[in-house]
Amino acid sequence: MKKLVMLSVAAAFAMQGGLVLAAGTPDTGPGCGLGKLAFQNYPNAKTKGAQVVMALLNGTGGNTFAISTGTSGCTDDGRVWAEQKVTMFAELNSNALAQEMAQGRGEHLASMATLLGVPQQHHSTFFGMAQTQYTSLAQAGDLSAGAMVKALNEGIAANPALAKVALN
Amino acid sequence: MIHILLAIIAFSGIPSLGLAEPVSHSYQHELVEQARQARLADEREWLLLLHYQDNFLGGVTSEEDDPGFFLSPHGKHDPQAELDATITQFFSADPVGRSKQPAQCAFIARYHWLKERLRFDPERLTPLSCERFDRWRAEMNPQGISLIFPAAFLNNPASMFGHTFLRIDQKGQTEQTRLLAYTIDYAADVPPDVGVEYAYKGIWGGYKGFFSTPPYYLKVQAYRDIENRDMWEYPLNLTADQIDRLLMHAWEMGNAYFDYFFFKENCSYHILSLLEYANPALHLRDRFSLWTIPADTVRAIVDSPGLVGTAVYRPSRSTIIKRKRVLMTGEEQALSNRVANSPDVIRDAVFAGLPTNRRAFILDVASDYLRYKGESDDPEVTVYKERNRAVLTERSKLSIPSEDIEIRPFTKQPDVGHRTSRVTLGGGWRNQDTFEEASFRAVYHDLLDPERGYTPDAQIEAFGVTVRHYNRAEQTRVERATLINIVSLSPIDSLFRAPSWKANVGMQTIQRNGCRLCSNGVFSGGMGGAVESALFKREVLYAFAEAEANISPAFHEYHRVGGGATLGVLADVTDRWKLMGSGSYLRYPLGDKSDEIRWYVGSRLTLAQNWAVRLDYHHRDRDDDVVCSIQAFF
Repeated sequence: MKKLVMLSVAAAFAMQGGLVLAAGTPDTGPGCGLGKLAFQNYPNAKTKGAQVVMALLNGTGGNTFAISTGTSGCTDDGRVWAEQKVTMFAELNSNALAQEMAQGRGEHLASMATLLGVPQQHHSTFFGMAQTQYTSLAQAGDLSAGAMVKALNEGIAANPALAKVALN
Repeated sequence: MIHILLAIIAFSGIPSLGLAEPVSHSYQHELVEQARQARLADEREWLLLLHYQDNFLGGVTSEEDDPGFFLSPHGKHDPQAELDATITQFFSADPVGRSKQPAQCAFIARYHWLKERLRFDPERLTPLSCERFDRWRAEMNPQGISLIFPAAFLNNPASMFGHTFLRIDQKGQTEQTRLLAYTIDYAADVPPDVGVEYAYKGIWGGYKGFFSTPPYYLKVQAYRDIENRDMWEYPLNLTADQIDRLLMHAWEMGNAYFDYFFFKENCSYHILSLLEYANPALHLRDRFSLWTIPADTVRAIVDSPGLVGTAVYRPSRSTIIKRKRVLMTGEEQALSNRVANSPDVIRDAVFAGLPTNRRAFILDVASDYLRYKGESDDPEVTVYKERNRAVLTERSKLSIPSEDIEIRPFTKQPDVGHRTSRVTLGGGWRNQDTFEEASFRAVYHDLLDPERGYTPDAQIEAFGVTVRHYNRAEQTRVERATLINIVSLSPIDSLFRAPSWKANVGMQTIQRNGCRLCSNGVFSGGMGGAVESALFKREVLYAFAEAEANISPAFHEYHRVGGGATLGVLADVTDRWKLMGSGSYLRYPLGDKSDEIRWYVGSRLTLAQNWAVRLDYHHRDRDDDVVCSIQAFF
């Protein structure tokens, strides 16, 4: 049933299309409708029969990332707009990102570093900074995706080794 | 001279799209003629690009179901007409197709192929710039292509069939940044509030299937985090040119949908079509006539010499948790469980006294477990998320990075598994008679089949039939038939608790009430539990409560309905030898009031990837049945 939940959410995302820009949704990021893609906050429901059948068919919703079909939400022919990449990644992967920041390592954290322009050889510095930032964020009580991105950017700027090389 | 005048008039008269209008009707006819001479419409590449397959009438029909994919009204059945129309359309900048681009861009793979074969003269057929494609391709940033296979997930044997999609590996991508790559995925567009019609429509093409390019991190989240499936990543050896061809054809596919047929034209089938266009020497789809099972397509790809590199394993969260727990002492495991239940435990002296790296590890496993529960269907999801936040906060204060731990899979990679369909030849005896038997099973895997490459303790069988010839009774009959027979055993431990379940619809032969050999329709289902042990190599002990209905002329009132219980054990004796034993007691209060005790003992010896020997013994009331058989998978 999770699949159904995901695809209905993605379908909702897809149907907004170009209207999203004009409407100015309250979701994070200008006009992305990303709040709706936050699967992790969606209520869960499950029936065994539906699950079995879903596994067989592997349905998915949405033309969000459909190839060569024009603009939809934050995507263009299926590719994410450059300026939205960081926000989108953080929002859609917030659980994984939070865990990896706290642990000071991980694929999502490394990917985030890459998106923020931190070169490979400085990743371990970035990881250490991220871990410290997590503690601050936790104590401030705001662990939203937006707050995480902000904290990471501030951490880069404040760290002389990172600020020099990050190509944001 | 007149041609130039006409061209100037035509050029200036048409509202400009900012694109040069390539006008030259005689060159158009020249190219069409050249193409006919070269019989390009018959070539494999053209057939691949248009997805033509032989039809029953001796001609071809395209599998493409969207009229926007064809430039000729007869395109679906007539490769020549489509070729002519395509060449003609290249001379225009009018938007075509669902993607609304000039034909040269909408059908860029066709364009590049024809340009190469017919050696287009850029003076007479102006090449248009395809900015949307160029931007898209630049974003994909291709360095290589990998085939991704999410394996089955716990408690759902149907997911054993798997799924496949492609990942476009980026230049400069490292092991750590695979998540940022785009994927090419083919899936059915299913509306949210779907019910039983899901199965019906899925089988008969009621849904449209589209290609899309979600970022890999979304796929990992869906399969690994939410569905808890292991994933296998197979890097493909394709040249830069082949990758370009694949991407161009994928771009073309944006113009189109196929009717999604769960059995044959499913995700894996269409992914293969992309690979075949990349390298037409590959004939990957040839072996799939009636149905395409994703795991089989992985085997087809692995069988192509040199196409696949070394598979990379991406563990599901439950595998990660299980592997990590083994690295903890009993005391640490207990602490980890307690922390997950109540993060305040972190302040206890017992915990605080441990070395930093052990504390970090304990917290990591607790967090993994809380994330696992947080993505599940447990109603207490928010509670788990809260606790995880508390655990992670404490973890971050430890200020050391977590160790990278290699997580080994519990199963071998799926392509080393036996093939999908099975035939069996055997003989044995039943009561006072001997018999020979032959059987066929379309799909897929039962509890005793060689488990290499398959999800352990899961069974899904469908469309099977067994025919026997009894020697003394001189009777040849359909001994057994299976419509569907599913068993899912989920061993319970301190962390993972899911029920085991089974369902069976089929027919068998029984001896009863004077009838020596009577057909009996069976409908049954059960729920229960299982546990794992390691007395020898690995055993799973299970228990079910079940209900069963029988329909047969052998019964008074032709039927009986009842329920009971089964206890069983499934044991790996060695790598090649597996044993199964079970005992059931059922009582039937409805119909032919009766009760029954049954035993079963089975043994399987694996000879090779696709060969095994079986010995099966069934006992019912005064009815003993022994079969020895050899099995081949194909």
